[in-house]
Amino acid sequence: MTVILPLLFLLTAASGTAVVLVRDPTRQIFAIAVNGLVLTILFDALQAPDVALSELAVGSAAVPLLFLVALMAVRTQPPEEKS
Amino acid sequence: MSPRARVALLALAALILLPGAASVIAGLPPFGATIARYGERINAITPEARHVANMVSAINFDLRGLDTLGEEFMLLAAITGTVILLRGRRGEGKTGRAMRRPGRAVIPRSEAVVLACRIAGPLTALFGLYVVLHATVTPGGGFQGGVILASGTLLIYLGEGYVGWRDAVRSPWLDALEGGGALLFALCGLAPMLTGAAFMQNVLPLGTFRDPFSGGLMLVENLGVAMAVAGGFTQLFLEFMEETREADEPDEPGEESA
Repeated sequence: MTVILPLLFLLTAASGTAVVLVRDPTRQIFAIAVNGLVLTILFDALQAPDVALSELAVGSAAVPLLFLVALMAVRTQPPEEKS
Repeated sequence: MSPRARVALLALAALILLPGAASVIAGLPPFGATIARYGERINAITPEARHVANMVSAINFDLRGLDTLGEEFMLLAAITGTVILLRGRRGEGKTGRAMRRPGRAVIPRSEAVVLACRIAGPLTALFGLYVVLHATVTPGGGFQGGVILASGTLLIYLGEGYVGWRDAVRSPWLDALEGGGALLFALCGLAPMLTGAAFMQNVLPLGTFRDPFSGGLMLVENLGVAMAVAGGFTQLFLEFMEETREADEPDEPGEESA
């Protein structure tokens, strides 16, 4: 446990920073999903399986999917001429 | 506001807030410390008082059940608001195909994806049901199980495509699930009052400790939350998906819809 927890905190920090640094919206959504997955493992390691289950379903599946669909809806507009 | 003023404002806010934050952080129990006093109390009292092994369920659905009822209706209101905002004529029809806009390439779905979704979908739904039904003995409960159930329906979309999904997942059923779940939860609060007990008092037999049928009213409330969450989340996905679809007829502004 002594190694796992600091490692997970590092991963959380790294994936959270990645969400901020990635600028392409599609990739950003996947970065959010990865962050959700890392948080799920962290919550599980901290003995909060209830929260981990919620985080897994909402944070790494539902929310990224809604973002993806929203992005898709924006992109389906006929493209304007590029300047 | 000029950049310089913003930085000055930030410095001022930091000056005021940082000492408070530092003292709060210093006052926290050390990481990995033993369970706090409140948690110890709950662990000592709940198994005897409510016969459930999952303390989180006991707090959410019994000791602080009223809070959960409020959260339930917050979710209901949020999803209703989303549906009202997004649904035009597009929410009604189910014949059209999603993501078919002119000038947009259609990528055929690979057979491996279809197979994976057909295997994973039912398994996910089964796991969701398991999480809901074992709310009082294992981690999880109505919300978690409901969200897993909703993601199970999404696997139908990934595997079968839009038309198959709309055929399998009917909007009125989702409405009934969502509203019915919330109604069931509210009735769990009101029904005990008929017997002369207090609002949301646990009047059902509590059952045996560590048995799936323990906790009395908690099981029914969990079921209500699971129905509302599964219906609500699927409804939310459906409305968002509809946004990517070309409407059969254009929405008319000011028209009474949905």
